Amino acid sequence: MIVFRKPLAEINRPSMEADVVIVGGGPAGMACALRLAQLIDAHNNAHPDAPLSKENIYVLEKAREVGQHCLSGALLDPRSLRELLPAFEREAPLGPMVDRESVYFLGERRAFKLPITPPPLRDHGNYVVSVNRLVRWLGGKVEAAGITIFTGFAGSELLVEDGRVVGVSTEDKGIDRNNQPKDNFEPGQELRAKLVILAEGSRGSLAKQLIGRFQLDLDRNPQTYGAGVKELWELPAGRVPAGEVIYTLGWPLTTKEYCGSWIYGGADNIVSLGFVTGLDYPDPRLDPHRVLQEFKQHPLVRPLLEGGKLIRYGAKSLPYGGWWAVPPLAGDGWMLAGDSAGLLNSQRLKGIHLAIKSGMLAAETAFDAMRADDFSRAKIAWYQQRVEQSWIKQELWKVRNFHQGFAHGLWAGMLHAGFQQITGGRGLHARYAATAGHRRLKHLADLPADGGAERQLLGDFKGDGTITFDKLTDLYHSGTRHEEDQPAHLVIHDTNLCNTRCITEFGSPCQHFCPANVYEMVEAADLPGGKQIHLNASNCLHCKICDIMDPYELITWVPPEGGGGPNYDDM
Amino acid sequence: MAETILVVVEQREGKLNRVSLETLAAAQAMASTTGWQVEALVLGSGVGEVARQMADLQVAKVHQLESPQLATYTPDAFSCALRGFIAERTPRVVLMPHTYQVRDLAPKLATALGRALVSDVTGFRCEGERLIFSRQMFQGKYTADLALQGDPPYFVSLQAGAFRGDQVIAAATPAAVDVVPVEIPDGVIRTRPQAPFREARQAIDLTQAQVIVAAGRGVKEEKNLALVQKLAEALGGEVGASRPICDAGWLPMERQVGSSGQTVAPRLYIAVGISGAIQHLVGMKGARTIIAVNKDAEAPIFEVADYAVVGNLFEVVPALIDEINKAKASA
Repeated sequence: MIVFRKPLAEINRPSMEADVVIVGGGPAGMACALRLAQLIDAHNNAHPDAPLSKENIYVLEKAREVGQHCLSGALLDPRSLRELLPAFEREAPLGPMVDRESVYFLGERRAFKLPITPPPLRDHGNYVVSVNRLVRWLGGKVEAAGITIFTGFAGSELLVEDGRVVGVSTEDKGIDRNNQPKDNFEPGQELRAKLVILAEGSRGSLAKQLIGRFQLDLDRNPQTYGAGVKELWELPAGRVPAGEVIYTLGWPLTTKEYCGSWIYGGADNIVSLGFVTGLDYPDPRLDPHRVLQEFKQHPLVRPLLEGGKLIRYGAKSLPYGGWWAVPPLAGDGWMLAGDSAGLLNSQRLKGIHLAIKSGMLAAETAFDAMRADDFSRAKIAWYQQRVEQSWIKQELWKVRNFHQGFAHGLWAGMLHAGFQQITGGRGLHARYAATAGHRRLKHLADLPADGGAERQLLGDFKGDGTITFDKLTDLYHSGTRHEEDQPAHLVIHDTNLCNTRCITEFGSPCQHFCPANVYEMVEAADLPGGKQIHLNASNCLHCKICDIMDPYELITWVPPEGGGGPNYDDM
Repeated sequence: MAETILVVVEQREGKLNRVSLETLAAAQAMASTTGWQVEALVLGSGVGEVARQMADLQVAKVHQLESPQLATYTPDAFSCALRGFIAERTPRVVLMPHTYQVRDLAPKLATALGRALVSDVTGFRCEGERLIFSRQMFQGKYTADLALQGDPPYFVSLQAGAFRGDQVIAAATPAAVDVVPVEIPDGVIRTRPQAPFREARQAIDLTQAQVIVAAGRGVKEEKNLALVQKLAEALGGEVGASRPICDAGWLPMERQVGSSGQTVAPRLYIAVGISGAIQHLVGMKGARTIIAVNKDAEAPIFEVADYAVVGNLFEVVPALIDEINKAKASA
């Protein structure tokens, strides 16, 4: 019997007061903390008699070290980093500047290069970066600026009183797999804060609590997501020159799926490559990890990788919903920033610059509140205004209907994108509707038994061990580890459904969409379906794909004991 | 004692901690390149047996430091005893295995004598007059070469498994054992050790086993573990397992071998019905000899196996047990 993680009831939790608690130490959270420190420092210099304190501002980061859970392609539009730190080029750990892009449409054996790179994918002036390194560097600056980062602590529960968010409670530490306290038990702390800023990244767990609790998605499009699976390779010199960017569409998926790959040439022959599969595909047997492996075997890609070495592996979801899926950004005692707010430009495939900018705007609003000692709803709501008047809205407004246009396939999507390009983003309707991705999964009964056009993507995959890898081997290179003796943090609300209906209706897609082999259907002779769900929770990569994609909405991902998770060095 | 390598051997309750043999093997290797001589030291109360064991190995001399106050380990007593001895005899290098006890003791000892200590060393080499030690940094991302400065003696602790205990050279004739009674003055010992306890479940330590027979998913059912158990017994070894067996609760987690379990390096490792996912391999590929039984000829375990048996384990293992028993009967 699987025991799921739940905050222990009826225990005294130590409580601590705070002014601002930022949940999440990624680009948005760090930019927010740094900006806040800058504003407070400037204020204190000008008003030495009435200083503001930085001591009650905290960043909560669930990884053991700053940046360890941060993963992205990535190409950074330096626009917001330049605003935050004008001299960043001198000290930020940036990779090469992009100087060459190409976009290919792949068939099974062929590659058709687009004669011109579509403007949204033109990356001159952008940097190839490792978001992990960027965040580590930003984290160093945040701490140097005097703001405390609590690593190894996750935001586990939102504290809400009378409709107002009054703080965050961290996770219980030292509980065993039956939810019983161990010798090293430490109850989660209650951080009672005047303002909580959620910057947990894509599909944040507290953000999900917030949105559900206050029904923030009522008049919005449902958020939709992509699953990015990434590998970092060391290649023979010159294979993919530094600053080269390659995008592909098409194979190994069909025009029915929203997908694409990237290959970015970094410095020192380190190359980032990955495949993003839109989490709105119809066949529940699809495995985003396998899609990446098939992609690597394409005649365009394989020769690039021969003789190279896999260094690291990881996966993460990304919010594709666009502006119409962005929830209200501020409320009573809370704000949402970065990917948690869905601020990602799915057309340009970029979100780090938006995350940084939103963090800065959140900081500016928080600073105003601190200065006036006024954390009322009206004061915090200015954050929403700031975002809407900034280039965040400008940029996202133009692509507000982009992802939805692909609901009926690649060609329709391109057509809509074309219309949107000449109508400032409107396209054919003011607001394109969207369907939550997991609702588009078809029953097995309605799909060809062998997979039809995607048959090469289904079934067991072993990999050749040099260019392609099975999931467990790839997973080993993510460095993921967790305290083993703890309850399962993938909370499945009804395992009976898993063991009965899901087997027949969808064929247990959790085994396929999880890039970390967390979910397994093992033989259970005594059950009617013959199988039962088994969790390898300590394999988890914290990507949230399961929380997003399970067809019955049964799975709630909650943070495991802090310090556990992948080790995304240089990712 | 100028050009001497002193090996401080670890014992508990009169029983030698076998990792000390690795330290001795390293010392002997160091002696053969530098020309220095190796001496062993054991401290405790009534540890004559351990001293005799060391005397049977190729060392110039064995020192047996005795005092009733050394019966149970305390950092104060051990440091006091060793300090006195080392200050008097000034060996060139003091080698110890990097055990928990040494982690506690060595910094205190080296600081008390004002000497350099390099810990968790994975290798060494000679460069002319100097010894260069290697150790890992940044969680294994770098290997650093270090030379020690200042005056000897130099303190060095060696990572478990970095040297091979089975390469220790035995002696033609036993060495002399020098019993040295030690005085620990009153007031030196500030701690009062309580009785040692083990967490209830920790009854097995796979890392000390010489033979391990490990079961994987291929055994199919819990009751089939009996077969694996029989093979382990026939060989005088321990039973290990890959993750799915322990996850299912068929064996306790202490028997799990792999990246989230134990890392073992026995003389013989027999993998039965284990596919060989990399997470398991990293826990056992240091074994001296690996035999793998699996019906899938493509199983990755065969990449590290010295002997590959592609077959049905339910046929192979009973046959193996039979042959072993026959061989034992006729021996």
